[in-house]
Amino acid sequence: MSRRLPQWELTLVVFTLVAAAWSATLSPYYLSLDQILNSTRQFVYPGILAVGLAVVVVLGEIDISLASTLAFGAVLFSKFSAAAAPIWLAVPIVVAACAALGALNGVLVARLGLPSLAVTLGTMGAFRGLAFILGSETGYTSFDDSYLYVGSEELLGSLPISFVLFCGVALAVGVLMRRTVFGRRCYAVGLNKEASWAAGIDVAQLKIQAYALAGGLAGLAALVWIGQYGSARGDNADGAILLVVTAVVLGGVDINGGRGGILGVVLALFLLGTMRNGMGLANVAGPTQTIVLGALLIAGVLRPAIFRAVARVYRLMFPRLADAPN
Amino acid sequence: MSSEATVGAVEGPQRTLGQFALRFRVSGVLAFLILLSAGFALLRPQFLIPENLSAILSNAAILMIVAAAQAVILITRNLDVSVGSIMGFAAYLTADFAARNPGVGPALVLMPLAIGGALGALNGLLVSYGKVSPLIATLGTMSVYRGLTYVYARGQEVTSNRLPRWMIELADARLSGVPILVLLAAAVVCLLAAFLRFYPLGRRMYAVGSNPEASAFFGLRTQRIVLLAYVVGGVMCGLAGFLYAARVGTVTVILASGWELTSLAAAVIGGVSVTGGSGNVIGAALGAVVLATIDNGLVLLGVPEFWRMFIQGVAIVAAATADVVIATRIRRSLRVRRRLVRSAA
Amino acid sequence: MQRRSALLSGAAAIFAFALAFSGAGAKDSGFKIMMTPKWTGFPYFEAAARGGKDAADELGDQFVYAGADHADVTLQVETLQNFLTQKPDAIVLAAIDLNAVAPVLKQARKQGIVVTTFDADAAADARDMFFNQMSYKQAAKTMLDCALMDAPEGEVAFVAASPTSPNHSAHIKYMKEYIQNDPKYQVFKVVDTQYANDEDAKSYDVAINLMQAHPNLKVIISSSAVSAPAGARAIDASGHAGKVFSTGFALPSAIKTYLEDGSEKCFALWNPYELGYLATYATHLKLAGKLDLKPGTTFKAGKAGEYTVGEGGEIVYGKPLMFTKDTVDKAGF
Repeated sequence: MSRRLPQWELTLVVFTLVAAAWSATLSPYYLSLDQILNSTRQFVYPGILAVGLAVVVVLGEIDISLASTLAFGAVLFSKFSAAAAPIWLAVPIVVAACAALGALNGVLVARLGLPSLAVTLGTMGAFRGLAFILGSETGYTSFDDSYLYVGSEELLGSLPISFVLFCGVALAVGVLMRRTVFGRRCYAVGLNKEASWAAGIDVAQLKIQAYALAGGLAGLAALVWIGQYGSARGDNADGAILLVVTAVVLGGVDINGGRGGILGVVLALFLLGTMRNGMGLANVAGPTQTIVLGALLIAGVLRPAIFRAVARVYRLMFPRLADAPN
Repeated sequence: MSSEATVGAVEGPQRTLGQFALRFRVSGVLAFLILLSAGFALLRPQFLIPENLSAILSNAAILMIVAAAQAVILITRNLDVSVGSIMGFAAYLTADFAARNPGVGPALVLMPLAIGGALGALNGLLVSYGKVSPLIATLGTMSVYRGLTYVYARGQEVTSNRLPRWMIELADARLSGVPILVLLAAAVVCLLAAFLRFYPLGRRMYAVGSNPEASAFFGLRTQRIVLLAYVVGGVMCGLAGFLYAARVGTVTVILASGWELTSLAAAVIGGVSVTGGSGNVIGAALGAVVLATIDNGLVLLGVPEFWRMFIQGVAIVAAATADVVIATRIRRSLRVRRRLVRSAA
Repeated sequence: MQRRSALLSGAAAIFAFALAFSGAGAKDSGFKIMMTPKWTGFPYFEAAARGGKDAADELGDQFVYAGADHADVTLQVETLQNFLTQKPDAIVLAAIDLNAVAPVLKQARKQGIVVTTFDADAAADARDMFFNQMSYKQAAKTMLDCALMDAPEGEVAFVAASPTSPNHSAHIKYMKEYIQNDPKYQVFKVVDTQYANDEDAKSYDVAINLMQAHPNLKVIISSSAVSAPAGARAIDASGHAGKVFSTGFALPSAIKTYLEDGSEKCFALWNPYELGYLATYATHLKLAGKLDLKPGTTFKAGKAGEYTVGEGGEIVYGKPLMFTKDTVDKAGF
């Protein structure tokens, strides 16, 4: 298992470098550190959501309500800002509230035994509905500067703070998954739920914790959102979940659970970001971008199948060469 | 996974129980629908007038077909999030063709069916032979198909006046008061249900969804069966796209985008398990009717728009819960039955 | 001696010319103008883009049109960010969310890029000028006038994209005000407001449900150009043609059949091609320093005619087109 992973990650790195080179030829504006760093902003909030989703997927479940949780978080932030609450008070409360929403998903999935796709399909609508009900029609925009800080400011002139936050989150969750008991248990449950349960792991509690983590991260992503776009409304991040899921599966996280890691997700995000940035700078038409990204997703996962087919042809054509030397 | 609803060729008490279980699964969503309708009717008596009920059914008709398509694929333990893109691609190409060839007759309907089937086949090939996870494969094809529609359309839409007269009339026609669209959808769904229930190939789809490894062990050609499921789903989506174009009249490139989630919601509410092997297309069709009923009832009641999303989300969770509760009860009763049968033997 | 002085004065003249033309910002052509719509592939925006391209070609500017293929705020901001990196002279856009695009547009203005909005505005301090197809009040009145053509009095319902779309909300607000206060429109009674997300199937279903919920409904007024034709279709299909009417803003090609067969009487819109042309032309003028945005200034925008700058950089295009059976053919789009 661990031998297969670096191969995929390596492929992603190669693809990303190729994409970067291709982008540089498509547009003269691409190859600039400032530009590339700035372009990472677009992928920070989906990235944070993707990291949270990866944990849930490793467990063998899924959560498509994360974008709605983000919207709820953003609207909740707006309430705090309107009440002139300090940012250091608002952030933990909003993150906790979003984690509670995530935990609700977890309870429905783990204790009631509902299928996670169905549950989060429902909570996707319910949470966003809550965001709409809580928020205002036109959206809240008069955020205090302290609320906007994370999403909009830079360090050292060109390094977006939100990007730094994303790297921190990815590192923390990556360590969580690889080096802690929690992470190891997630992989175990993802690989074989029954055996893990027999081995004494409280599967239900683990799932609830994972969903709560994903929800809490969505709350953090909401903080980035409001800084970046300056507005909080019920329809924030509507439709973002598709990109998030794409990043997770492209990152090599097995949708059935038990395999893949945060590193892959981060690399996949870089790949997607590079491609979108490069094509955007060359003003490639929207539909063409969509086709390219869709084809990339398919090609990426077809790679093992293509290799296998090529290997089979090779074996057919050169049977003697394929035999082990004696 | 949930094997109790697998219609196996077993005789005796278990067979009747199997059939009973199947009917029970449908009655879950049916009960939900009846309760919902009763609620609305109590609050607004005009809910029950035939014209309103007919409106609900005709709003649900096309979704019924797509939900059934999704159900077939879900039953084999796969899913398809490209259904909206298949509908859009098939609808746009057909509408554009019809607009350029004004005299074309009803044979036109073969075109969206063929296109849908081809696109579905591509999905199926990726999933069954390419061994790509269905979510990834159909996420990718969703983008590719939609993008191709755009490239083909070049910023144009096909307006209703350029569509053949018979197509528009088909969408509006009624047979003794019932819209033809509804009858058509019901017929398609029933045909599909019969296929899944009475034809060996249909039952094999349940087997593959219940336990792919065991099915392969037993000699079932799982790859071909999954491929067929996707093709059937694609053909139905093509038909749905055609009917959508006929109904709404203006054919745009973003036709039916978002329908993947709606069809999934309808199937889930209808008791189709996303882990494969159980549920049926009639349930999925009823799930579509539930969604249309909620929409209609909320307008009748004058519920503010913001609440609609919330209520629909809660309805999906409630339906999924009801489904699991029923399934658990069936499993428990089956276990008791099996123990009785075994001890009697 | 005379030849030398002639040479000198010639050189001086050339030098003077060169100085005049090399002055900071004294360019008057060859600008790079980039346009992005709410989403590409919608004939309305494609027409505006054609108008923009024609204006740019006419004036000798470079015109780039790009955008995402569906209405997504994140993607529009990304497009704008990518525009910024390519260092254009001006950006023209129809904003999906007036606040979400504000940060990146403000950054653009800081870099000296002229920002123009058309069709849907961004936050006022994030753009130089906004070309409103018509003032919200004018839009409201036009739609109500169309409704009057359908029915001299009765119940009306509004259909908009979403409660969060600013122009639709403004339309509805003013329509309600007129119905309450203006004797001409007091014949109407507002019974419902529904939302259809700019989706045609949803608009169809909403129209059907509205007719069921309000049996005495006379007119469905749609601010969204997607909902109006779908509503007309729904009325036709459910056999309510002649009893209930659909009106509002719609592309003439989409509603031509209904006007011709008499099931509908009146729709409205404006010329998106000319709106795009106007926005781009005026942007060029601003870049060349020939347009002062003080309220009250008038300027001529090529073949689009003369316009007056209003308050806060808003310029009203103000040429509503009402399509009836007799006039729909002349629209040409």
